[in-house]
Amino acid sequence: MADSFTLPLRPILEKRDRPDTLPVEIAQINNQWGSFREVNEDVLRNKIAEEEEKDGLDEVDESDQDATDPDSTERVEQLYKRRAEITQFAMQAHMETMFALDFVSLLLSKQTPRQAETSMSAFLKQVAPLGSLNAEVVNPPPKPESTTKDIAAVSRGWRIQNFNAAANKLLQAASRLETEVASETRYWNEVLAVKDKGWKVSRLPREKQALGVQYGFLEATPVFRDRGLASLRRAEDGALSLDEGLIPTKARYVRVRVIQDGRLSGSSKPTRSTFDGDGTIEDRILQARDTVYEEELFYELVREARAIASFGVTTRQNLIRIPASDDLEILLDLVDTDENTSQPEYDISQQGTFLAEGLAHTIRILLAYSHRQNLRRRTLLPPPLTPKTRSIPEHQLIRPALAYIKHMSDVRWLQSLLKDLFGVLKSANLKPSAYTARVFSTEKQRQTSSAPTVETLVGQFLTPMLSTFNGNILTPRGSFSIAIHTNLSSPPFGTTFDVSFNMPKYPDLESPGKLSHREEVEAAITHLLLLDVVFTISSNNNSPKSEHDKDEAKRTWEAIYPQHGELLLLPSKSEKQKKMKIVLSRHELSLEIYTVRCIDGTGRGKCEHPSYNSMPHTWKPPPIAGFPNQPSLMEFVSTQVPR
Amino acid sequence: MHEQSLFASVPVHQHHELLQQLAGLTAMQPRHCLERRLIFKAYRKPGLAGRTGASQDLQQGDLQRLNKMLNGNMYYTQVIGPVSELDFGSTAPVDHDTQMAGMDDSKPSGSPSPSSYDYERQPWKLEFRDIPEAGTRSAVTSRLMSSATLPRGDVVQAMNAWGYHFTTEYVVEGDMFIHNDIAIFLHRVLHYPGDESSLPRRQLPALKDMTLFEKSGSYVLQAFIIVQDGSNQETMKTASQHLFGLREQLKSAVLLEQADRLSLDTRAK
Repeated sequence: MADSFTLPLRPILEKRDRPDTLPVEIAQINNQWGSFREVNEDVLRNKIAEEEEKDGLDEVDESDQDATDPDSTERVEQLYKRRAEITQFAMQAHMETMFALDFVSLLLSKQTPRQAETSMSAFLKQVAPLGSLNAEVVNPPPKPESTTKDIAAVSRGWRIQNFNAAANKLLQAASRLETEVASETRYWNEVLAVKDKGWKVSRLPREKQALGVQYGFLEATPVFRDRGLASLRRAEDGALSLDEGLIPTKARYVRVRVIQDGRLSGSSKPTRSTFDGDGTIEDRILQARDTVYEEELFYELVREARAIASFGVTTRQNLIRIPASDDLEILLDLVDTDENTSQPEYDISQQGTFLAEGLAHTIRILLAYSHRQNLRRRTLLPPPLTPKTRSIPEHQLIRPALAYIKHMSDVRWLQSLLKDLFGVLKSANLKPSAYTARVFSTEKQRQTSSAPTVETLVGQFLTPMLSTFNGNILTPRGSFSIAIHTNLSSPPFGTTFDVSFNMPKYPDLESPGKLSHREEVEAAITHLLLLDVVFTISSNNNSPKSEHDKDEAKRTWEAIYPQHGELLLLPSKSEKQKKMKIVLSRHELSLEIYTVRCIDGTGRGKCEHPSYNSMPHTWKPPPIAGFPNQPSLMEFVSTQVPR
Repeated sequence: MHEQSLFASVPVHQHHELLQQLAGLTAMQPRHCLERRLIFKAYRKPGLAGRTGASQDLQQGDLQRLNKMLNGNMYYTQVIGPVSELDFGSTAPVDHDTQMAGMDDSKPSGSPSPSSYDYERQPWKLEFRDIPEAGTRSAVTSRLMSSATLPRGDVVQAMNAWGYHFTTEYVVEGDMFIHNDIAIFLHRVLHYPGDESSLPRRQLPALKDMTLFEKSGSYVLQAFIIVQDGSNQETMKTASQHLFGLREQLKSAVLLEQADRLSLDTRAK
């Protein structure tokens, strides 16, 4: 490095005029070793032996030290001894320095008494009055020329040495500065690169010298908002490193798992792959941001899960278990992104994965929405200050998603119920008109001027969900409608089915209104359709028959207990009364003929006897239908009317 | 309710910079506000004062309170109505008959069409401010306040019925920031061009025709907290401490201080 500098800092070494002459060296040897005359073999041998002995001693010393491995107490003692020695030396040095200081002070006190007094020891001040020591320049006796020449040579040597040392220092400093500049340049370039990417770079509030990058979310819960700031440190070589403090730098994410029928059927994937320490600074910032977001998400999920424990949601330290609907269960947990997710693949269904991924996205979108709501709330004119602190309501993250799942499950159930029932009716060749389903028929909210479209969109998802089913029945002008409301945000929680009928034939039939159990709904609808079938039978064999045969006009099935599905054939001359019982369920429609002995045929129970050829006649929807050439219900009914 | 506030004067050249500083401090974009302010003066209805007939049912304390109310100080009050920039210099809306009934409800108030100002649909708010409390040791301006929403449209009749005369009106233009509990309002007062009228204007002149009340165009920075219960010393203290905290934070930009008590006197003499 030093070579790259061309600064002429080093002193130019003059070539000596001539090397030391031989006489000089001889004189030196004479001085050092004595005269050559005294050198003989014995002296040299002695010298060699002496030196060997010295070396040997040293070696012995070393080997001794190695051999006698002092145990700990000895070592401690030795340590103390050495320390005492060091202290002693230090104190001695200190004392000598103090003496020197006193001496110089006393000497100077002649010239500058005020300044010198400050550095004098108290003892000296007592003993010697100020200015009692003086120094004078004494003319030294003239030195011989050789001495002056020596002094000149020595001082020249000193100077050169010092110049060299100074030059070395300067060059070292220069090279150090150069590396420093290079690494600073790199650091600032990287900081600028970060800033150019659009990250907010600022000074740290606590550590004014350091730079920080803000990647967190301003509207997050304060704990997580404050964590969204990391300092940008400079490594030794100027590389930028992100210092997030005490937070684990591991990337984590909220994993959504869907358990169907007790088996894992889907799991969400991390949104971003991890970086194994060699990612760019941008990647690191992104990862830190994601992790902060995920951790906040989980924190809020747990907070909300506790609030909705009444829905059966349970929380453990790192797991939220949500029973969603039927056999569906959802698990939420916070895991490392690089956690080995080697799950048995055979259980994973595409639908489960879709659900898990969808849920994962939903809760993240909802958290972002809550952030926006926080901003809105924060920038409103604050309400008057009261001693009570306002608690922050839990964000709606799980509830809307859960409501959606529950709602969809209920809608599907109702759809399948209606499909089954209408299938049964169709198999009996009754022709019910189709029903219409409007899933998510929630009215569109009026577009408020201030909220952006995205927020309105998400806001709609948070409103209670509504689906409606409308349909006509066999009875003319008869209809039914079912509205399914699902609301988990405000009481009453859960799903309600609002069932209403319109049966002109039975005007006093009241609509069941709001029902919350599926069994009740099934019973209500089945009952309605049963009434419908009974009414159809009783009305159907009215009209055509009367035209066909006047005599048979009276012989019609009359709905006697429509709510039980019972019809009565009015008695003719000698015949016994006949009774028809219809049972409708979502699986089948069955019909049985009884003979009744009671007089008016209205009695039930004991006096009923299954008729001679009566076998309950059943109609089932096509897949299970056993008898392809079954007569339709109406045909069957008309055959039962004796002519 | 009590209002605690601190004030500062902001010269016009500092305005833009301060807006940015406040936006940074409060982490929000300034909310631009334009407000019509009508000043009403209370007057004593002739014959009402001192008459306390049919008072046999009243308790002594109630009687005193009633007397105090009837004979006490009279105050000026303000009626504030938010307006938008589009309302200025616009024409009156088209005839109501040509509009379909119920149309107004479906649209945000005040702007049935982009360039018309409908005085009849102007929302109003009544704001009462007492004279600041005297002799408080705290270095903030603290005063009793109250506000109430008024019916839309013409308020003069209602106010007359309550014993208030319309005095004058002006417009306040400014930006609002919220910093935790503190509302920060950086505003200035605009006067209407032309003569004083005896009734509130039904149309607003163009904004550029409005004249500045303070000729240099400087702004007033008001930071205030509203406290629900003024008798609760604890909350009052918290509020003033929050204000002092803000004063410290803004120290290098503006100097927030207590206002002169008598300059905020709302009593009608």
